[in-house]
Amino acid sequence: MTPPSRALAFTIYLCAFVVGGVLMGFEMLGSRYLFPYFGGGIGTWASLISTVLCALAIGYFAGSAIVALYPTQKTIAVAILIAAAYLAFVPATADGAMQYILDNLGDGAPATLVASTALLLVPLTLLGTFSPIAVSLLTHSTEQAGRVAGLVYGVSTIGNVVGTLLTTFTLIPAFGSRAITYIFAFTLAACAALLFVPSVRRA
Amino acid sequence: MYIRSIVFGVLAFGLIGIAASSAQDNRNLLASKESLYNNIYVYEDPPYVSMTFGHNRRIYTESMYNTHDDRDLPVDYTRFMTTSLMYAKDVHSILEIGFGGGRTAWYLHRFLPNVPVTSVELDPAVLELAKKYFGIKEEPNFQVVNRDGRLFLSESKDHYDVILIDAYRGPFVPFHLLTKEFYQIVKDHLAEGGVVAQNVEPSTMLFDSAVKTINSVFPQIDFYKASGNIVTIAYDGAERKPEDLAAVAADRDKAYGLRYHLTDMLAERRRIEIDGGQVIDPSAKVLTDDFAPVEALKNIERHNRKLP
Repeated sequence: MTPPSRALAFTIYLCAFVVGGVLMGFEMLGSRYLFPYFGGGIGTWASLISTVLCALAIGYFAGSAIVALYPTQKTIAVAILIAAAYLAFVPATADGAMQYILDNLGDGAPATLVASTALLLVPLTLLGTFSPIAVSLLTHSTEQAGRVAGLVYGVSTIGNVVGTLLTTFTLIPAFGSRAITYIFAFTLAACAALLFVPSVRRA
Repeated sequence: MYIRSIVFGVLAFGLIGIAASSAQDNRNLLASKESLYNNIYVYEDPPYVSMTFGHNRRIYTESMYNTHDDRDLPVDYTRFMTTSLMYAKDVHSILEIGFGGGRTAWYLHRFLPNVPVTSVELDPAVLELAKKYFGIKEEPNFQVVNRDGRLFLSESKDHYDVILIDAYRGPFVPFHLLTKEFYQIVKDHLAEGGVVAQNVEPSTMLFDSAVKTINSVFPQIDFYKASGNIVTIAYDGAERKPEDLAAVAADRDKAYGLRYHLTDMLAERRRIEIDGGQVIDPSAKVLTDDFAPVEALKNIERHNRKLP
């Protein structure tokens, strides 16, 4: 376990914050994609929230498995990049997908769950792998494990809060949901790029 | 330290409890129900029964029913919703989105018993209370459907001569019932010569955007001011001439024996220059499924612009 450079540690914490922000921001945005098709009730919110938490659970488990095999910053960069690409496809394809689900499954709880799964599960699972791998990259002795884990989750949770509020009170009133989705995709791609660069330099 | 935070926590909960209970008013509470969508209270103030949705300390009256007279429409705007009757080419079918206590739908059903009236309501608890306290019964030609209004219309193959939209939930406006895409779905379900009436709350910038959005799908909008609310009547084609409306109004007043005369209400008809920038804010944007910041717009008061 070699200690990470300060620059790398900063990059990882910054990405933890941004990834946390996009994650919750996209959950809020999910409501704008789903409501026109499945109604704006508490059922739709329940589907969105449970899908996000499922994605995070899968992401954490997957992350803890990946840590054993490929504990590199490149791994998280790739995961974030794939999530960015997924988001970039959402604006053009979401309406078709929602209509298809509505036509075939109706608008009950199963349909709403399928719709939020289609929208959120893949990108948020990928983003969920970030924290465990980040903790392993930042930890260089067993005594530090708890402290680092606390810091990573703290920073990422502050990102969650900022993402929720910024999306709801600033982005949605100013831009369309599709434009915001592209902004998120671009932001994630920028994070991935940041994580790729120092690893290239060190090699 | 822990004990202190527990004490404060208990105190805080206690205060919230007191604040919540003081939100009730002095009328006799008949029923209250926490549904999936609302906190619903039914109050009695003889002869009236009213349905309100509580939100924090403010109470929003959704519907009022005169228990001695089921054809009474005590709330002003609900009368003006019926002005739609003088615009429709024919009146063979009526759809309402947002049933609430069902007064408008029931009034139309009682005066036009041969015309099928369908009303769509999202909240099953609202329907249950309406049947219990507001004299609503399932009858031939009177149907209430428990469904999201937009979903109902998207899936429906029927066409209606009159569509009434009144789907506010307390202070909340479901954005997907205020977008251009929604009004296009509404238009696709109008019979030839059909008309759409909507209750719009005019004190915030949401009014300006709503009017522009309706206007993006329907070239004509007539306005009726109803103490605190505005009823918009939207239709396709050319502007209806007052004399033509008056003739239809007189005919239908007589044919249906309407209590609230269309002829009288016609006097309140207003037209406004929607693109002129005088009444409707020129910077107001058309709402779409993609861009519909209804909550943010609802927080901006309208300033210095005269209502129609």
